[in-house]
Amino acid sequence: MAIKLLDVENLTMKFEGLVAIDNLSFSANKDQITSIIGPNGAGKTTVFNCLTGFYKATAGSMFLNKENEKLNLRKFSDYRVAQRAGVARTFQNIRLFPQMSVLENMMVAQHNKLMDASGFTLLGLFNSPSFVKKEKEAVEISKYWLDIIGLTHRADDDAGDLPYGDQRKLEIVRAMCINPNLLCLDEPAAGLNAKESAELNKLLLFIKNKKKTGILLIEHDMSVVMEISDHVVVLNYGKKIFEGTSQETKKSPEVIEAYLGTDE
Amino acid sequence: MEKNFLQSSIKDSLFTGLIALALFGPIIGLRTVAQNEILVVQPKWLLVIFIVAICAVGRFLINLYTFNRDQKAGHQSSIGKSIGNFLDTKGTQIAISAIIFSIIFPFLPFTDRYLMDIGIMMLTYIMLGWGLNIVIGLAGLLDLGYVAFYAVGAYSYALFAIHFGWSFWICLPIAGIFAAMFGVLLGFPVLRLRGDYLAIVTLAFGEMIRILLLNWYELTKGPDGLTGIPRPSFFGLPFKSFPEEGEQTFHTFFGLEYSPMQRIIFLYYLILVLALITNLFTIKIRRLPIGRAWEALREDEIACKSLGVNPRNTKLTAFAIGAMFGGFAGSFFATRQAFISPESFTFIESAIIVAIVVLGGMGSQTGVVLSTIFLIGLIEVFRDFESYRMIAFGGAMVLIMIFRPRGILATRKPTITLEKKKG
Amino acid sequence: MDLAYFLQQLINGVTLGSVYGLIAIGYTMVYGIIGMINFAHGDIFMVGAFVALISFILFALTSIALPVVLLLTLLIAMVFTACYGWTVEKLAYKPLRKSFRLAPLISALGMSIVLQNYVQAAQGARIKTLQPVIQGGFTFMEETGFTVSLSYLQVFIVLVTIFLMAIFTLLITRTALGRAQRACEQDRTMTALMGINVDRTISITFIIGSSLASVAGMMFVMYYGVIDFYIGFLAGIKAFTAAVLGGIGSIPGAMLGGLLIGLIEVFWSGYISIEYKDIAAFTVLVVVLIFFPTGFLGKPDIEKV
Ligand SMILES: Nc1ncnc2c1ncn2[C@@H]1O[C@H](COP(=O)(O)OP(=O)(O)OP(=O)(O)O)[C@@H](O)[C@H]1O
Ligand SMILES: [Mg+2]
Repeated sequence: MAIKLLDVENLTMKFEGLVAIDNLSFSANKDQITSIIGPNGAGKTTVFNCLTGFYKATAGSMFLNKENEKLNLRKFSDYRVAQRAGVARTFQNIRLFPQMSVLENMMVAQHNKLMDASGFTLLGLFNSPSFVKKEKEAVEISKYWLDIIGLTHRADDDAGDLPYGDQRKLEIVRAMCINPNLLCLDEPAAGLNAKESAELNKLLLFIKNKKKTGILLIEHDMSVVMEISDHVVVLNYGKKIFEGTSQETKKSPEVIEAYLGTDE
Repeated sequence: MEKNFLQSSIKDSLFTGLIALALFGPIIGLRTVAQNEILVVQPKWLLVIFIVAICAVGRFLINLYTFNRDQKAGHQSSIGKSIGNFLDTKGTQIAISAIIFSIIFPFLPFTDRYLMDIGIMMLTYIMLGWGLNIVIGLAGLLDLGYVAFYAVGAYSYALFAIHFGWSFWICLPIAGIFAAMFGVLLGFPVLRLRGDYLAIVTLAFGEMIRILLLNWYELTKGPDGLTGIPRPSFFGLPFKSFPEEGEQTFHTFFGLEYSPMQRIIFLYYLILVLALITNLFTIKIRRLPIGRAWEALREDEIACKSLGVNPRNTKLTAFAIGAMFGGFAGSFFATRQAFISPESFTFIESAIIVAIVVLGGMGSQTGVVLSTIFLIGLIEVFRDFESYRMIAFGGAMVLIMIFRPRGILATRKPTITLEKKKG
Repeated sequence: MDLAYFLQQLINGVTLGSVYGLIAIGYTMVYGIIGMINFAHGDIFMVGAFVALISFILFALTSIALPVVLLLTLLIAMVFTACYGWTVEKLAYKPLRKSFRLAPLISALGMSIVLQNYVQAAQGARIKTLQPVIQGGFTFMEETGFTVSLSYLQVFIVLVTIFLMAIFTLLITRTALGRAQRACEQDRTMTALMGINVDRTISITFIIGSSLASVAGMMFVMYYGVIDFYIGFLAGIKAFTAAVLGGIGSIPGAMLGGLLIGLIEVFWSGYISIEYKDIAAFTVLVVVLIFFPTGFLGKPDIEKV
């Protein structure tokens, strides 16, 4: 019934002797939120970096099922992962374009589409009607997402001037502007207060249910993880130590041990 | 406490004086001069003592000043800030008045040959600044070899005009295309380098072009340079005092008295138009997806990649377009001078253009104009003090980075806005 | 004859390489510790050459023995030039540590222009010629028709370079200063939290780099006998190339890179074309940066995301 979206097998990443990910296999389903949790330095961000082509994995395979195609993510390097496979991501340290306005941030995310419409700039220089129309649409899409996170009134302000929580949300909807198949979120709840955290949960559930986008979520905040994830993968020292539903994870002795340490 | 402070700041200024003595003692105090082919040392101790005293006393005064300021904490109203704010808000008005001024400039009563020459020179630098602003200001790529594209434009213009006798309006686009091609050729391998490495590689490239121009004698006449580059004509009407039999010239056609100023005025408007085209083009392209992608790349390349923006192609277009405008400016330079040699394309030219962009405020078109007027004005006013003016120039670069790192005009207007409903 | 010619180029290349290597150390140390290209470093080298020149001229008036003159000049050049390095860092780089990433580079560019024109204003734009300080040398292979000569000056240059290299390598690998430097390279904030004076460590790095560059300047003025205010530009770029080739951040790498650049330059002018000898260095720079940015002894640099 659940459709497999992402398939990672035997993924390994080494940095000069340090094994950051060790033979990791897991999968993520469409219309589901899959959480990756684990202590600091477990290798969670590195998994994202391999998936999104920022690091070249030492070994293993990563496949993404896009409509009827099976895409080998290892073949794409950085920007192509987003462009061709539609894997969008956010970063552990927010990476907005701080000196550009909120709306401009959203427009850059729709770059490839708009670039085509502007006839690689030539048509755009002469304000061709088709380009103007596409640009209007892109603004509408941006507005749609900004409405959802309640930032429309700040659309023309610099993204760097937003409060921290709003920047987090903006980064997520900006990633949604590329119309992704898979959305990878690296600790989106970090630094949010309880109210913002609850709003974030709502946003993620909206993306999952209404936009039918699979979500891969790295999170330390257990309240977020337990509340919204359908599936949890637990990493420790680069190895998968547990995989299951959030209820199962809560009870697993291995997970408790990894987080709290043993008494010996 | 007061006393402690006095003691420590006296100590501090004495130390400053000591360092100043070490710095200036040998280099300024012991000037080497050749006497009968042998170097001897000419002491200049008075000057050194004077400079050292200035340093020490200056340091002491600065200490006093900062101490007093810290005492009156919270009270901060710097003049620099208010000037900045004024410029930030009045950008458009300044721009419009500047354009009007530059159009009527040749006909103002005080405008003479000398001022016209300066005007043309400033406009050339403004155009180069606007061209480089695309690369540095928008795309955030520190290009220290921009003069290479200027040179490629000038030489390709000169060679085509001399050997094929083609007119300015044909050679101009050719020169631009040549420069852009060079931009792509260079940019393709180097644009994935980190910012500072890119700066050094472009610098090296600029020098390589110059060395090539110096040594490829058959093509470029090396250090002798290319002479006899055709002057531009007014849509086919040359500027000549003595036309040949049956030849129409600018002044005979319009029934005017011949004057050498006519050509100068024409050149002035030519560069004004070229510069304004550069400006309009930049303003327009900044609002297109490619322009936004340039600025996004400047802000955060990794974020750009995560959104599927191809960094290499995006940078390459910035590089090529910047190079193209450099090439246009080079053609103008060649036709204006009628003579070019590698000497006009040294690294210091690149540094001047970089300084114009950086001082102006990265990405600010009006800023480029203001900083050109300031910097070229500075260079011109002190033209008889060759090295002192360059000291001031280099010092200005350092000071700008320290006190106003985002340039004179620091604000940036969004390229697209959401119309807000008023109510 | 071919072998003789080759040997001669080799000797000249090693000598020149020593000079580049000494300058390159300054680039590499500064890059290692604060991650910036100290664009003004070539001009610090130029200042060192001038200080050495002035010192030689003054000592020529006295009757002090040559070895003492050499030693004193070495010390004088190192001390005075170190003041320049220290001041440049304090004035132009320190205030910019938290600025945007290209700011220090632009500031360094401005500083380089200042230094060049300052020396031009103070010392004049003319070329300065120094009478040979150390004369004579060994000659070999006279029977082949092409004499190979190894001057005492060349021996002196190489020996001093090796000696200084050894001392500074020890200083950096064995002492608390070296540990502090390496700590700053890793993480400046953490290092400061551990109670290490980061500002002082950076200052000392500039002082060491500048004094080594001044030694290179002294060698340069003795070896070529002519200098002007502009020598820092080309020598600086070539030394930077050396630092990158050896692996930026690595001190033995800088020395190795310097040697290679010296050899490449000399062999290029000897066998290919003297007009394009500077192109050789630039080409190496471009090729290395593009295809081989970690150099021989550098660490791979994966951008942390
Ligand atoms: N570019 C790199 N070079 C060297 N080591 C790296 C690199 N990136 C990550 N590592 C190492 O890989 C290990 C895993 O890091 P990673 O950032 O993936 O952890 P994480 O699970 O995201 O931790 P956190 O919860 O703190 O974000 C760490 O030991 C880290 O030092
Ligand atoms: Mg992480």
